[in-house]
Amino acid sequence: MHGSGARAFGFTGTWRDYAPIAFSNLLLTIVTLGIYRFWATTRTRRYLWSRTRFIDEPLEWSGTGLELFIGFVLVLVLFLIPFVFLQFGVQALIFQGYAGLAITLGALAIFLLFYLSGVALFRMLRYRLSRTWWHGIRGGSDERGWGYGWSYLWRNIVGMIPFYLLVPWAMISLWNDRWNAMSFGPHPFRSSALVGGVYKRFLLFYLVPFLLVIGLIVAGVSAMPMMMDPAANPGQPPAGFWALLIIVAIVFYGVLPLIALIFYAKYMRVVIGALSLSTLDFSFDARSKDWFLLILGDIALVVCTLGIGAIFLSYRHWAFFVRHLDASGEVSLSALTQSTTVAPGQGEGLADAFDIGAI
Amino acid sequence: MTSLGPDDSIWHYDGTRATRHHPRIDWAAETFTLHWEGGASGPHRWGDLVPVGGTGARSVYGLRGVPGWRLGFAGAPPEGFAVHLPLPARYGRWIDRIGLWRAIALFGALAAATLFVVLRAPQWIAPYVPYSWEERLGDAMVGDFGGRLCETPASRAAIARLQAQLGDDVRIRQIGIANIDMVNAVALPGGRILLFNGLLKEAQSPDEVAGVLAHEIGHVRHRDTMTALVRQLGLSVVLGGFNGQVGGAVNGLLAMSYSRDAERSADAYSIARLKASDISPLPTAAFFDRLGALSGGERMERATSWMASHPVSAERKAAFTRSAVAGHGYRPALTEPEWTALVNACKDDPDVKKGFSPF
Repeated sequence: MHGSGARAFGFTGTWRDYAPIAFSNLLLTIVTLGIYRFWATTRTRRYLWSRTRFIDEPLEWSGTGLELFIGFVLVLVLFLIPFVFLQFGVQALIFQGYAGLAITLGALAIFLLFYLSGVALFRMLRYRLSRTWWHGIRGGSDERGWGYGWSYLWRNIVGMIPFYLLVPWAMISLWNDRWNAMSFGPHPFRSSALVGGVYKRFLLFYLVPFLLVIGLIVAGVSAMPMMMDPAANPGQPPAGFWALLIIVAIVFYGVLPLIALIFYAKYMRVVIGALSLSTLDFSFDARSKDWFLLILGDIALVVCTLGIGAIFLSYRHWAFFVRHLDASGEVSLSALTQSTTVAPGQGEGLADAFDIGAI
Repeated sequence: MTSLGPDDSIWHYDGTRATRHHPRIDWAAETFTLHWEGGASGPHRWGDLVPVGGTGARSVYGLRGVPGWRLGFAGAPPEGFAVHLPLPARYGRWIDRIGLWRAIALFGALAAATLFVVLRAPQWIAPYVPYSWEERLGDAMVGDFGGRLCETPASRAAIARLQAQLGDDVRIRQIGIANIDMVNAVALPGGRILLFNGLLKEAQSPDEVAGVLAHEIGHVRHRDTMTALVRQLGLSVVLGGFNGQVGGAVNGLLAMSYSRDAERSADAYSIARLKASDISPLPTAAFFDRLGALSGGERMERATSWMASHPVSAERKAAFTRSAVAGHGYRPALTEPEWTALVNACKDDPDVKKGFSPF
């Protein structure tokens, strides 16, 4: 039923449509000291989902602000408040001279936080799928993410041990794990991304800092005679010093993020390209240039509006995501029956607490 | 009984399968029923229909208790049918009921009142916190400072003499010298004051130390530490709704501005006590001068004063200088031997631990 030529996903939202939602959300969030933001998120998603077409029918977001709020309160009570006490206790231990114990406790807390952020990532995806409807059918997962948290902890640690060289392996295998636990209707998602596809770009990202440092040292040595100018005021750093500082700043804030973006663009194409649902194969075609323009547009939007434009970022990112997403294959509507997974009772509180982004 | 459809502009999903039906709707005063080829749904009560919001021009309804059940109309629902249907929620149930602008005004007023109380109330509450609680809190936080307090019989006598001159009526539990090389002094919960050894080494006369110590005694007398703790607690609860960064920034700024007021009144106490004890305020003024130079000079301090915890050094210096009576014969806060014993307390204490090294 997928017509040839047309894309499987389409986005029909407009800025003008979304603006009243964005501005009233901002206003209500301020006057409620932030509490409205759960309802604001829900209104935004309801809009974005309903303007996202898959084949013949828009998606529907059925989440509520209240369940996001409950998720937030639960995390606050169960995790954040105990952590504040723990922090207090660690400080007290340092003051009283039990530094070894304090460091052990602190390290345990860091591991626990790391574990929980893995759990959060899983539960966020599960929650979002369970609240996403199409043709009256929703997604979900039979797992709760506690096991995924361990996998997230050890794979990331193993990824970092050989000087971060196995980080792409950790990222890709965790993506596969996460999606292989998800389903839509009766069909499980299948993800079989291979790490080989992203390694070249990762090595680019990995090696460029070394090359740059070597380059800077060479440049610094060759500029030495100029810096050693005997006539220069010894209290004032020489001009070469400032030039070097500017080059370092450009490298750190310009070149490195750019290479990270080039890696990320490939990563997203690889992992989404390896994702399928029953007979549907997904694909994502945003190239580095598209990502670069997206981020450049984000920066321009936020800077030119003195920050207010930030309320449109989630809209921009969603539109970008949907416009580059495609799927091929057949959907058998009569075989697409209701999901039997248990829908979580509350929203993505953990992910919210850790500020974990969407994609 | 009235009937409508079947029609392409009316569709239905039953929530068990993704197949789209175009039903005929039959309705009466209390109930309605859907019929399509090979199936039916109902009769259902009107009151069980739940409007799905944010669907643009389309009107979509769910049915209470049947997840995924949807009845949709391409435009507005047909008249005669529509009179039975509830309106979709827009901003959230409470806000829809009273209207957006009235809700914003109401929430804004509530937010302002809450912030006002949270910022002011600690000043009213702190004096009623029993001293025994505060002392226990201080013990839990600091204990014996991990054996880093310097003390000799002579230094103890010198501190007792300073305390008698500067705060004989203030509930102080301990004035200690901490073996830490920082030019600083702190008032901790439970009426404890720590003078850091770096301050004693940097000070050029006992009068300077007396001015700084009297300032800290002022904090103890006004119970500023307790007030700040209560305020911090209140602010983090109230601003908890914002996400981490925004809440933290607002919290910090608000707390800082109150802390500057507390610093000013501690300075006022210090000036009054120095005067009463016939100790010259000028050395303390000179001390602030040197402190101001350390933090980048007056211009730098003024530029950043809105986010500083202490008033600008130049202002503080001026206040101490103004209080000096020209030609008055002040006497030193300590005798020469007492002063030497104080400065050398850490050197002469045989079993003191040093600094903050963890092991």
